[in-house]
Amino acid sequence: MSYSLLDFFTDPVLRAPTLGSIFMCISSSLVGVIVVIRKRSLLGEALSHASYPGIALGVTLLAAFFTPSSDGFALAVLGCAFISSLLGMLLIDLLQKRFRVKDDAALCFVLSSFFGLGVLIASRIQTTHALWYKQVQAFLYGQTATMRDIHILIYAALLVFTCVTLGLLYREIQILTFDRSFGQSIGINSKFVETAVLLLTVLAIVIGIRSVGVVMMAGMLIAPALASRQLTHTLKHMFIVSGVIGAISGFCGNYFSVMIPFYLKAEKLSLPTGPMILLTASFLCLLALLFAPQRGLITRMLRVLKFKRNCQLENILKALWKEEKKEGVLLQEVASSQNLSSFKTWLRMRKLLSKGWLSIENHRFILSDKGEKKAREVVRLHRLWELYLVHLGHCKDKVHASAEEMEHVLTPELEKQLTDFLRNPMHDPHDQPIPHKEGKE
Amino acid sequence: MIATLAASPYRDVDFFSFFGVMFQRLFQAIQGNLPLKDLASDEIQMLVLIGLCFSSALIGAFLVLKKMTMMANALCHTILLGIVLAFLLLKPLFLEEGLSNSFLSLKILIVASFLSGLLTTLLTQLLVHVAKVQEDASIGLVFTSLFALGVVLVTLYTKNVHIGTEAIMGNIDALDKDDLSLVGAVALMNLVAFFFFFRGFTTSTFDPLFAGSIGLPVSFLNYFIMVLTAATCIAAFRAVGVLLVLTFFVGPPLMARLLTDKLRTMILLSFVLPAIGSIFSVALSRHILVVYQTPVSTSGLVVCVFALMYLLLLLFAPKKGVITQILKKKAVFQQGNSR
Repeated sequence: MSYSLLDFFTDPVLRAPTLGSIFMCISSSLVGVIVVIRKRSLLGEALSHASYPGIALGVTLLAAFFTPSSDGFALAVLGCAFISSLLGMLLIDLLQKRFRVKDDAALCFVLSSFFGLGVLIASRIQTTHALWYKQVQAFLYGQTATMRDIHILIYAALLVFTCVTLGLLYREIQILTFDRSFGQSIGINSKFVETAVLLLTVLAIVIGIRSVGVVMMAGMLIAPALASRQLTHTLKHMFIVSGVIGAISGFCGNYFSVMIPFYLKAEKLSLPTGPMILLTASFLCLLALLFAPQRGLITRMLRVLKFKRNCQLENILKALWKEEKKEGVLLQEVASSQNLSSFKTWLRMRKLLSKGWLSIENHRFILSDKGEKKAREVVRLHRLWELYLVHLGHCKDKVHASAEEMEHVLTPELEKQLTDFLRNPMHDPHDQPIPHKEGKE
Repeated sequence: MIATLAASPYRDVDFFSFFGVMFQRLFQAIQGNLPLKDLASDEIQMLVLIGLCFSSALIGAFLVLKKMTMMANALCHTILLGIVLAFLLLKPLFLEEGLSNSFLSLKILIVASFLSGLLTTLLTQLLVHVAKVQEDASIGLVFTSLFALGVVLVTLYTKNVHIGTEAIMGNIDALDKDDLSLVGAVALMNLVAFFFFFRGFTTSTFDPLFAGSIGLPVSFLNYFIMVLTAATCIAAFRAVGVLLVLTFFVGPPLMARLLTDKLRTMILLSFVLPAIGSIFSVALSRHILVVYQTPVSTSGLVVCVFALMYLLLLLFAPKKGVITQILKKKAVFQQGNSR
């Protein structure tokens, strides 16, 4: 049996996990933006682990009043997780402020001792109440399969609450994050906003652990926010993109954890959703880190390469123009004069030909009219810049190197400004004529 | 005297008679009357935990002082992926061995600790320096993602979700003498490393600039300490699980820090205190089992005992404890009044 994409939203068994995990991931990736911008990502790690004893204790205590599958149960367990995570936060705060324990050590201590407490409590019910124990373990790596329609409502409500709070506090959070003292000077109650942000963080973590799991929750706060940081420039857009990425990861993670066992013909295997969701999110984040239009690593590298190639093209044109050979030059001659390998030169020549700056006759390259114009422009920029530097008081023997670089960088506007500034000069410091743009000597 | 598991000498002892039996058997062992194969499960647990305390005392002090505990936390997570990868890489070499035998064989563990130590540190450095991501976010992103990958691989490979769970919870009751020798080997390795590099570690911890200027390989020492941490995590893998070992790294130095300002004393104390705590926890776990018929996770208990010890020290440590300070203030106040 196999499901189509639409089934994940309509099928009565599948729609609750799908929608539920989408809602959860949106809320965690929205709050993640604040966490990442404030450089408190590792607080998320500590707080998510700190919620584990709450879950274990909550399930153990509540199991006395509810059956594990009843409706109030899920919400009550989340409440316990919230309280326990909050206690963890208070303890971290206490250790840091009262006892001067270092930031990282306090986080790690609270993280591991709370988690240990959780393990202890969980082990108490492991043998006696296997069904409840399974409920507790589901929160470790995330498991959405057992969610029902009521969970959609619960998580939708929690998501709406998160969004509304974020929306109401948006201005304050923005101002306090980027300019704290300005925020305080215009009378923002920073203590209130800080507390609200921390509570919101705890809430987002507690919302997310059902699908992402206690252990991987921190990643889900970081990955979408980091990805959207790469793609956007304003805080508002960052929130939106992060939410979208969160939603995509929530859906894909859920989809994979249902479908992969089918592909592997191991239908009994229940793949935890948490790793799948997080892997999707960090894959998207990796893509953003590499290929984001402006900040991406590969994009930046390509831009550098393109610039280098452009410089080489312009240098070749310049050399051809200076030599003024009517019969043209051979590939080998260009290669040796430009210090390039013959393969690279061939590539550059192809590019110049395709741009129409060169023509070819009997294996000899000849500058076309268009190419001549371009070369004149480059030389003009070079000599203008030399003149400008001399005008600034530089020695005229030393301006050539700088002009070699600037000739590829100067824009037409700058060229015009330089021309006006130097009163449309005709000769450069070395008494070479400065060629005119249009070809008039 | 045949000590099988069923006839464990600790079978129905409560908390106090546990120590009675323990000392009796310790005495026997000193006299040479207790062959190694007669070690009871509880004793193996105690020895493994004490070995762990020893290893992590050496490393933990430096991790805490260097503010590298979050990297240690990251390593604890990625060790899972390290083990899976090492197993998949080395599997062709050990085809004749079954999964259960070779899953934690020594060679795999060594490769795993190198893999995860280097992978975590390198990827984090790459994100920070090449992709210009802020440091906290890169640590958090790298280790959670690698951990997720580890969980997926383990689950897919073994077609079993429980191994993943056991990996982070530990299963201290399943320990046997092989684990003891593994923990012993790692402890020995740490001891040797620290015997040779103690000066270097100390100098690069307290004054990295000075250490660099006199030619110490500071970044090598950092990588080295990460690999040692990874090895210790692996030794702890079966006993307390990858997450709880963090308490062994962080808790003891914090406790010891409350009692002393000297590094050597701090390392010594951060071995002795948790070692006592570990023995106490094993006895307590046995007590709970015998008296209340309730099996609880000893590894969880150890962590809780450590946390409790730290909280008690926070209150009552001779110089830095909260209550001690209050009492002292009161005494000074009264002295002032009586004059």
